[in-house]
Amino acid sequence: MTVPRQRDRQMLLDPGMDLTLRPMRYPDFYEQYRAAIRNTWTVEEVDLAADVADLAKLTPGEYHLVKRLVAFFATGDTIVANNLVLNLYKHVNAPEARLYLSRQLFEEAVHVQFYLTLLDTYLPDHDDRTEAFAAIERIPSIKQKGDFCFRWIDSIDSLDELRTPADRRSFLLNLICFAACIEGLFFYGAFAYVYWLRSRGLLDGLATGTNWVFRDESMHMSFAFSVIETVRKEEPELFDDELTAQVTRMLEEAVDAEAAFAEDVCGDGLSGMNTADMRRYLEYVADQRLARLGMPTRFGSANPFDFMALQDVQELTNFFERRVSAYQVAVSGTVSLDEEF
Amino acid sequence: MAITTLSSPDLDSLITRAAEGLPDVDAERVARAVESGRAPGASHAEDLELAVRSAAALIGADPQYSRLAARLLARLIHAEVAGQGLTAFSESVAEGHRQGVHSAALAAFTASNAAALDAIADDAEDDRFGYFGLRTVYDRYLLRHPVTRLVIETPQWFLLRVAAGLAETVDEARELYDLTSRLSYLPSSPTLFNSGTAHPQLSSCFLLDSPRDELEAIYGRYTDIARLSKFAGGIGVSWTRVRSRGSLIKGTNGNSNGIVPWLRTLDASVAAVNQGGRRKGAACVYLEPWHADVEEFLELRDNTGDEAQRTHNLNLAVWVPDEFMRRVEANADWSLFDPKEVPHLTDLWGERFDAAYAAAEAAGLARRTVPARTLYARMMRTLAQTGNGWMTFKDASNRACNQTAREGNVVHLSNLCTEILEVTDDETTAVCNLGSVNLGAHVTATGVDFAALSRTVRTAVRFLDRTIDRSYYPTDAAKASNAKWRPVGLGVMGLADVFFKLRLAFDSPEAKELSTRVAEEIALSAYETSAELAASLGRHPNYFETRAFDGVLHVDHFPGTPTWQAERWAALRARVAETGLRNSLLIAIAPTATIAAIAGCAECIEPVVSNVFKRETLSGEFLQVNPYLIEDLKRLGRWDDATRAALLSSEGSVQDFGWLPEELRTLYRTAWELPQRALIDLAAARMPFIDQSQSLNLFMAAPTIGKLSSMYAYAWRQGLKTTYYLRSRPATRIAQTTVAVTLPSEADAVACSLENPEICEACQ
Repeated sequence: MTVPRQRDRQMLLDPGMDLTLRPMRYPDFYEQYRAAIRNTWTVEEVDLAADVADLAKLTPGEYHLVKRLVAFFATGDTIVANNLVLNLYKHVNAPEARLYLSRQLFEEAVHVQFYLTLLDTYLPDHDDRTEAFAAIERIPSIKQKGDFCFRWIDSIDSLDELRTPADRRSFLLNLICFAACIEGLFFYGAFAYVYWLRSRGLLDGLATGTNWVFRDESMHMSFAFSVIETVRKEEPELFDDELTAQVTRMLEEAVDAEAAFAEDVCGDGLSGMNTADMRRYLEYVADQRLARLGMPTRFGSANPFDFMALQDVQELTNFFERRVSAYQVAVSGTVSLDEEF
Repeated sequence: MAITTLSSPDLDSLITRAAEGLPDVDAERVARAVESGRAPGASHAEDLELAVRSAAALIGADPQYSRLAARLLARLIHAEVAGQGLTAFSESVAEGHRQGVHSAALAAFTASNAAALDAIADDAEDDRFGYFGLRTVYDRYLLRHPVTRLVIETPQWFLLRVAAGLAETVDEARELYDLTSRLSYLPSSPTLFNSGTAHPQLSSCFLLDSPRDELEAIYGRYTDIARLSKFAGGIGVSWTRVRSRGSLIKGTNGNSNGIVPWLRTLDASVAAVNQGGRRKGAACVYLEPWHADVEEFLELRDNTGDEAQRTHNLNLAVWVPDEFMRRVEANADWSLFDPKEVPHLTDLWGERFDAAYAAAEAAGLARRTVPARTLYARMMRTLAQTGNGWMTFKDASNRACNQTAREGNVVHLSNLCTEILEVTDDETTAVCNLGSVNLGAHVTATGVDFAALSRTVRTAVRFLDRTIDRSYYPTDAAKASNAKWRPVGLGVMGLADVFFKLRLAFDSPEAKELSTRVAEEIALSAYETSAELAASLGRHPNYFETRAFDGVLHVDHFPGTPTWQAERWAALRARVAETGLRNSLLIAIAPTATIAAIAGCAECIEPVVSNVFKRETLSGEFLQVNPYLIEDLKRLGRWDDATRAALLSSEGSVQDFGWLPEELRTLYRTAWELPQRALIDLAAARMPFIDQSQSLNLFMAAPTIGKLSSMYAYAWRQGLKTTYYLRSRPATRIAQTTVAVTLPSEADAVACSLENPEICEACQ
């Protein structure tokens, strides 16, 4: 097969519909696709039975927190999926990258299904359910986050092709918004609430499913950052001070929106969880995202949630207590009797 | 749940006092976290709970925070108990008895020995607990008031209740309590849960033969399993006798749907039984690989495919005859049968099985024939993708079993944790009572204290034997068999602690020798004790059906086994010939997941999975840091923020810590980094001294069919009777929060852009 000379110079954000997988321009994207496949999980594996009993034990403040949390989850992943289809897929012009995005889209669907199942289980009352699913319109603290997302979805809605550097910067801002602010900050805020509950021995099913969701989300974020790095390598001139300023502002807004949500969620404060600590945590996470983008940090806050260290280490589960999620699918090879092990 | 009786409202001074003697703990840091996280209007008890959790969240910063959190939690527990006016063990038992929690027998025993028993419990022993251990005890083991749900016993009263529930005299209670309160030995969870209570189901494991191939028998098994599960027993059940898919059903002239629909029902039934809210019911189904439904069986735990063919709550094990492994080695064919056509196969092992199997093939009874390696590859795939489908070896399990001396006595399966091997038949449910010695508690500066170990074993065996008589049996089939065979399973935990303390690499020849010597000492002391018990209380009724009666001890099946105590073995033989044995089986190494948590040691015979990891349990998640490593790092002056971060980034591996002396890097290899051959070799070396079996987990971070098939073939060739889970690791992980961001290096990028992505190691 002869390689068109032109492909050598083609860049990731150049408009078009590249269909050629060999020679592969971005093998790392393909590896990420394969790693994601090995991590397949299904909603049926999550056992929510114990959660229902826990819900009855919660204080009114804790119950309010859980209800708000699942209301956010109800639409969060759908928004991400929509942006992927409407804005990302068409502009990232490499078939191996599109393979990953297709896989991501499937994962977002699983997440939506998980939170749908969760809501149906947690909220047996049909009116409560309707209310939760309408959260994006009716609950101000969730609406504010939704508006933030929609603004960035709309920002590149009219772009059919990324022709100019300005187009490409707009695209990068959208990508960074979804990776660093939505998946990387809003979801990480939600994650902290779940872990806080989990550190108190509550809502095991929610924690299990959320763990798996976050394993996926971490991959999504990591993929997005590797796209950004690739673009940076190919078109370093796009990354100017203006972009840094815009991203920093965007993260400030995201922190504010998530902190406002925290105020609604935490009320006057719960034991070990309150608005002030949550804001510091969000600032700390936002700084991490900026660092990951190679940009100066903005907040300088320290992480107040020591319990988050628990999500940074490998897990060992007693098989009789929780479903073990450490296994891979698509294991390959053939029988042999003399390999090293 | 409001507690308002804490003596001191001053949390800061409480934390400061709890931090005494813990030089690397910053009490102020905990106090600050409590201050910042305190909810408005929170009670003192809620603040204390917050202090406990704030201290526990810092275990990653220094393991001493575990002790601090445990001390604060002990304070909380004592306040909760005292708040109900309970000030002594005898009061707790009396109150529990009034509430229907404690047994009448224990209440009477305690009432007549109140002062003596009250004097035994020593709160100072609380300080031996780490946070994970005490939290586990508090959440799941301490007895609760049936209405208020407040705990009505302190940690020490709990251990004394367990001991007194098994004792006939105060001295006996003290003897067992002295071991358990020092965390030198712990009985298994069912005994800890239920000893001295109104429902003293003390046994850990039940093994049920396959139901007969008929409707009533199958439904009868569901009922048996539900009853046994209800009181915290783990279930092993074979399904090998039930006809396969497509088999003719005479009564209706229809065709059978095979075993999967039956196992779906079992799955639902097991999930429905909640063991008193303390854990879910659990069962493992065994199938021999000549059963024609074996391929569908191996897919029962897959998380993709038709949900109507899945059983997410059942564990799966394959009961493999040697002939299968020989055909794998020879790359020959393997025949699959409908058990209805060959009902005798499951009752045969060794050469008689081989002959019958060949005869069935010759008679053309096979439903299908597949390459043995094709089926073996499917087994390996199931292990890799689910950890399930445990490889257990039928012939090795029967050949050396003390119970299989007579015609008709056959081991048909192992149990939920693959360490119990006992005969079953349609009317006989095998039972086992378990307990484990904490080996780490028997180490001095110079090595293992064999004399102390022997004393512990003697006490443990006498109480395990007592457990047989004190236990409540949910079914008659279980009661009858346990009375006849009186098997017990004494195991160990904390082997890895021994190696760390003595600085032996897990795969060193010294480690193997020590581990084998320990196994020999335990076996000798256990058999000596059982012979003594036989002299005073009588042999177990089925003694005349055992190999021991014929003069053959388990170790004799392994000629060439090194022995360090030949004279004691000779004396033991003479003694057994004279007195017989009280117990048909004595040794089994159980996984000890929960009791090792309580004792704060490594699980059974396992290496540590990482130097920093978390345990996920029903009580929550617990950070575990290898205290031996941290001690060494402190000694080297390297336990600082940079090392902490590096250890988190590496997921608990020290292999890339170039500055760490090589000897320490070797010592602190994780289970993922050790050659698995070493785990198998250690298990094989101790096997002559294990008359049942061992729950041997194997670890492979990124399994392939090739590696797994080599590993399990090796395990079989080494003569292992059983293996347990295959542990592996997820393909991706959650982005770390508490670790500083590091940007991908240029070197990674170059490696990744190699043309051939399939062999790109950088991303694997």
